[in-house]
Amino acid sequence: MAVITVDHLRKTYRGVVAVEDLSFDVEAGEIFGILGPNGAGKTTTIECVQGLRHADGGTVRVLGLDPATQAAQLRQRIGSQLQDSSLPGRLRVAESIELFAAFARHPIACEELLARWRLGEQRAQPFDSLSGGQRQRLFIALAFVNSPEVVFLDELTQGLDPQARRATWELIREIRQSGTTVLLVTHFMDEAEHLCDRVAVVDRGRVVALDTPQGLIDGLGLPSVVRFSTSEPDLDWLEKLDVVESMARQGQAVEIRGTGPVLALVASELVAHQIVPLDLRVERPTVEDAFLALTGQDIRG
Amino acid sequence: MTTVHGYLAMARSEFRLFRREPFSVVFVLAFPLMMMMLLAAVFGNKQSDAGAIQNGMLVWRGVTPANYYTAASVAVIVAALGLMTLPITLTSYRQRGILRRFRASSVPASTLVGAQLTVAFATFVAGTLVMATVARLAYHAMLPQDLLGVVAALLAGTVAFGAIGLLLATVIRTSRSAQGIGLMLFFALWLVSGTGPPRAVLPTGLRDVANVLPLTHLVTAVQNPWFGFGWAGTDLAVLAAYAVAAGVPALWLFRRY
Repeated sequence: MAVITVDHLRKTYRGVVAVEDLSFDVEAGEIFGILGPNGAGKTTTIECVQGLRHADGGTVRVLGLDPATQAAQLRQRIGSQLQDSSLPGRLRVAESIELFAAFARHPIACEELLARWRLGEQRAQPFDSLSGGQRQRLFIALAFVNSPEVVFLDELTQGLDPQARRATWELIREIRQSGTTVLLVTHFMDEAEHLCDRVAVVDRGRVVALDTPQGLIDGLGLPSVVRFSTSEPDLDWLEKLDVVESMARQGQAVEIRGTGPVLALVASELVAHQIVPLDLRVERPTVEDAFLALTGQDIRG
Repeated sequence: MTTVHGYLAMARSEFRLFRREPFSVVFVLAFPLMMMMLLAAVFGNKQSDAGAIQNGMLVWRGVTPANYYTAASVAVIVAALGLMTLPITLTSYRQRGILRRFRASSVPASTLVGAQLTVAFATFVAGTLVMATVARLAYHAMLPQDLLGVVAALLAGTVAFGAIGLLLATVIRTSRSAQGIGLMLFFALWLVSGTGPPRAVLPTGLRDVANVLPLTHLVTAVQNPWFGFGWAGTDLAVLAAYAVAAGVPALWLFRRY
């Protein structure tokens, strides 16, 4: 069952197209990622989905509701961690959770949220004095304060250190166990790869690919890279393998590109020629490679 | 019940924030009190001045200058909050993404504005008590003769200046401009509305301009019941008109933040 349906969404700002024509469905209980470079229309899309902006065209349904006309009903059932938002500087952590809980129909206890998002020690600290990571955790806690059925996370781990990012991912997975659907906007490849069940790659206001992270990689037939070193001068027989697309050599270092089970076939051929390099290794294509292939640009470009 | 619960939570939160914001406390409470004391020191507290006439007007409305400024300065608190604190707070809320944060969590615009005005009104009542007590102790000034009338004037002032402040917050984009514009409006009104120099000493043209400005009417609306002259019906009506004229477009523009 689709919890979110976006069908031919279009949004322009004073003639500038932010979202050209965007469609996707999010199933109940999945973690769905929207991945794209800056300015691809990611934030605009989820703002339209939450009813924070009005689409110029297309239809959007969340939990069967139209965000444009039933925003009040919808917001009782969704949670939202916005990019570039903040709280009054002198409002303290526990106070802000209690304030937002007052507008929730089924609020989660403040203590529980403080504990889950490791904000217990900061409870009496004003918002202005929080670090970037603490602010981010507070926003995520606020997104969950109303026991939402769907949660929108926009650049979830922005400003978090690597350890905090891993911890946050773990919590998001835990939350999914409870049946909450998560729509995640990110420009971090590893986040999409580790967290998302399915990913929509968005570029210039359109979905250019939609699949599981592994499916994105496999679907593009991107090459793996096999590396090893050897003093053997003649390796032409390796290039004759069907799976090998190209081979490059620099001194002892050999780099082979190929698709399919390239590592296994190269390895067996090497062994057959009595070459057993200690440093034989493979680099499989990542979501980042898929992204580059799909959008033709670096994510931060 | 979520609505009432939310409103109370928001009012409590805004009250805490107001208390923690030195600018508001200083400008809204200390400044009018200080001006009252300075003006009373300048013009004195002599009964013989009560009947002074200039330009065909009773300069001090038949009371001593200290009495005159005690009541007038209560109106200054209202103007400071409406012209400065309210637009500065709301524009900075918008600029910093706080309004988006509230909106995404289904906090209605009316709840936020209602909470702000509630805190404002509570501040006016507290400021009035402080003003009356200080003036009583320092100048043996009269306490409000008709307390209900003063409260009614404060309510009318809250709504009128609240509406003006909200309108400013919808048309001004940044809190820096709100500070500048608010300060300018505040001092312009303060100078011509009988809260600084008495209106009798103003040139006719300036007095005519001041006649249509809201602070002039708020001063009269507060002073009349304070001095026991009865309720100032016309001035209350003018304040109500300001509330509607500024409040309707302001709420309409602000409803989507």
